[in-house]
Amino acid sequence: MEYLIHLAILFSIYAILGVSLNLVVGYTGLLSVTHAAFYGIGAYTTAILLTKTGVGFFSSVILGIIVAIALSFLIGVVLSKFKGDYYAIGTFGFNTIIFAIFLNWQNLTMGPFGIPGISKPELLSINFANNFNFLVLALIFLGLIYFIARFITKSPFGRVLKAIREDEKAIVVFGYNTPYFKLAIFSISAAMAAVAGSLFASYLTFIDPSSFRLMESAFILAIVILGGLANLRGAILGALFLILLPEILRFVGFPPDIAAQMRQVVYGVILILVMLYRPQGLIGEYKL
Amino acid sequence: MKILETKNLMKRFNGVRAIDRLSIGIEKGQITGIVGPNGSGKTTLINLLSGVLEIDGGEVIIDGIEKFTRVLPHQVSSYGITRTFQNVRLFEQMTVLDNILVVVTERNVFGSIFEKNIEHHHKISEEVLQKVGLWEKRNQLAVNLSYGQRKLLEIARTLAMKTEIYLFDEPFAGLFPEMRKIVASIIRELKQKNKTVILVEHDIGLIRELCDQIFVMDEGKLLAEGEPEAVLKKRSVIEAYLGE
Amino acid sequence: MEIVPQLILNSIIAGSIYALIALGFNFVYGATKFFNLAHGVMAAIGGYAVFYFAKTLGLNLYFAVILGVALAGIVGYGLDKFIYLPLRKRKASNMVLLVASLGAMTALQAVIAILFTSRFKTISQNIGTQKLFEVLGGVITQTQLIIILVTALILAGLVFLLYKTLFGKAVRAISDDEEVAQIVGINTNKIIGYVFFIGSALAGLAGILVGFDTGIEPTMGLGLLLKGVIASVIGGVGNIYGGVLGAFLLGFVENFGIWKISGEWKDAIAFTLLIVFLIFRPRGIMNK
Repeated sequence: MEYLIHLAILFSIYAILGVSLNLVVGYTGLLSVTHAAFYGIGAYTTAILLTKTGVGFFSSVILGIIVAIALSFLIGVVLSKFKGDYYAIGTFGFNTIIFAIFLNWQNLTMGPFGIPGISKPELLSINFANNFNFLVLALIFLGLIYFIARFITKSPFGRVLKAIREDEKAIVVFGYNTPYFKLAIFSISAAMAAVAGSLFASYLTFIDPSSFRLMESAFILAIVILGGLANLRGAILGALFLILLPEILRFVGFPPDIAAQMRQVVYGVILILVMLYRPQGLIGEYKL
Repeated sequence: MKILETKNLMKRFNGVRAIDRLSIGIEKGQITGIVGPNGSGKTTLINLLSGVLEIDGGEVIIDGIEKFTRVLPHQVSSYGITRTFQNVRLFEQMTVLDNILVVVTERNVFGSIFEKNIEHHHKISEEVLQKVGLWEKRNQLAVNLSYGQRKLLEIARTLAMKTEIYLFDEPFAGLFPEMRKIVASIIRELKQKNKTVILVEHDIGLIRELCDQIFVMDEGKLLAEGEPEAVLKKRSVIEAYLGE
Repeated sequence: MEIVPQLILNSIIAGSIYALIALGFNFVYGATKFFNLAHGVMAAIGGYAVFYFAKTLGLNLYFAVILGVALAGIVGYGLDKFIYLPLRKRKASNMVLLVASLGAMTALQAVIAILFTSRFKTISQNIGTQKLFEVLGGVITQTQLIIILVTALILAGLVFLLYKTLFGKAVRAISDDEEVAQIVGINTNKIIGYVFFIGSALAGLAGILVGFDTGIEPTMGLGLLLKGVIASVIGGVGNIYGGVLGAFLLGFVENFGIWKISGEWKDAIAFTLLIVFLIFRPRGIMNK
């Protein structure tokens, strides 16, 4: 039971990441592979504040969001100059640079040793060290973010995003200053990823840079692509599947270290198969 | 009164002058035809007037006062200009209705997230889709429409903008007669409402039928201007066409 | 040993390796116009093939190298045949191809890890007894000297192939315009298949050389690929000379960049260079 709760918490975190990345990749058509950087920003903000200052978890979430928005704004301004696959390559760059900062700014992040002893949230005498309570908290965050994402995508703003994805030059002619729209959704998405990061740091009580590599961004991208582009429920489905996958592999009888690699094999093959046979993913509404 | 003028308008592609010191004046409330052989710069002119291409020289004057030479593409529509494209450009993986709704909402991020006039926008969309006969298909994806329906949807999209100036780049090309009738009646109706229509068209019969004045272009320059009947009789105009 | 001459030597050595990757990458990009992220993993395949044939099976080292290069080529050819070709036939966008190649990279990398574990391995038989040469006040190993020579040879060979043979003419025609090439009777799919074989074989060779110089690990391909991509983009993507020029520029910037700071910043420096180029000269040094 304890283990199921653990999986459910991981699922909630990845579902937040998937839903938020879908806003950028699925709705706006920008192939971003730098989501783990903002995830890491949230995680490090919470980890540093909780271990070095008296700031509480919920305040650290807010601060993580602010840092992520500020950073994503800067990155987004640069990225707005790139198109298509160059955009993707540019995002590789930002993920790598931010990862290098986590790794090398040792005074702040303790570098490769990571930050241990991050405390769990506390609110009105509810003890979130209890995993079940933490799961409830994670699900509340997921619900909140899903609701915001749904509101955004259903609004006329979401429609403009889709139009940017379909034909940016055409929608510009109708008077939309598209870089602002792209920047806005990129920052919103980054802020949501930071929330997932805060939850992750507080739940594991330990983080190191290895959780925020480029490959992690590729993994989040796989969640979105598998589950379904431009469909929020698709991202949740994708997260569910890819979180359960290693468990299925273990259940089938692979030893743990092979199972971890098998997970990579399966998820690589899934990306290929989806591209070949179902470019919109399981329940997606947009073909890449 | 001239609603739109160009003065010495220039556009070069790799040093070649696609639009060469073009000065024309377009009357408000009239239907103006832009004709000329292929490659004479008609579509380039439309692209300059709609902000799709950057102007290399000269200026565009709206209402005799407001000039735009170095405005950003998205600002051009605020001068009351909207357009269709020679090769239809729709938002393919969006529904027919969304293709219209997307151009009527607020132009800024916050306004569009917290849009207030949703009902009004649906009313406009229904009106223009009814006009082109696509209301029944409003929930289909644009990519699944037929060629003619795609052209009509694009025209409907410009109507929803409710601007003063409409640039139509070959709106009749490839349409069946009954669809041509719809397009022609839309253009006439715009004129009745005192809107200005600029029409790029190859079909001389349609030009004669619809236009109040025409400009003939050749190699980026203005070859002739005036009422269609008079201009189309001119020797130089006939030569330019036959010379192709 | 003085610092500046050694930095220059290190830059040239790094530049040579990047150039080898960039040459193959650019060769493939020129013909297909998409970022093949699986290019790097061919390097790992080459390296591990030599490890297996020479160290595990005890075959002759030179023979093992030939097998390794060929195997990388064959895998690359296979990827084209079974994944990229069907996608190209469907006129899939560059982003679809990029995502599919990301899947291929992830899966192949994990397969290698399953077969050989993810531990770092050496394939050089004479570790520590390598001949050292002193050049201009810096030190260079025999392997590193071979790397530089091989890169020069491969560059010459590839230029010959592209500009002096019928095959090269066909490849250039496809680079200019695939449809036109098809119309004039070139079997473009067959030629592109060969291009994948050659490009991937070159990546395999690069991986083997890196293996002799330092060692091999399953994830080595990603790092090499990214450097190859950066070199290609800053040099002028699709341009053979551009890739080499970019590779050496990258080698110098990286090695001099870490003169006064930690070597862990190398990747961040490389990507900063990329982003600067993407902003100010997106088509690279050689392309107008």
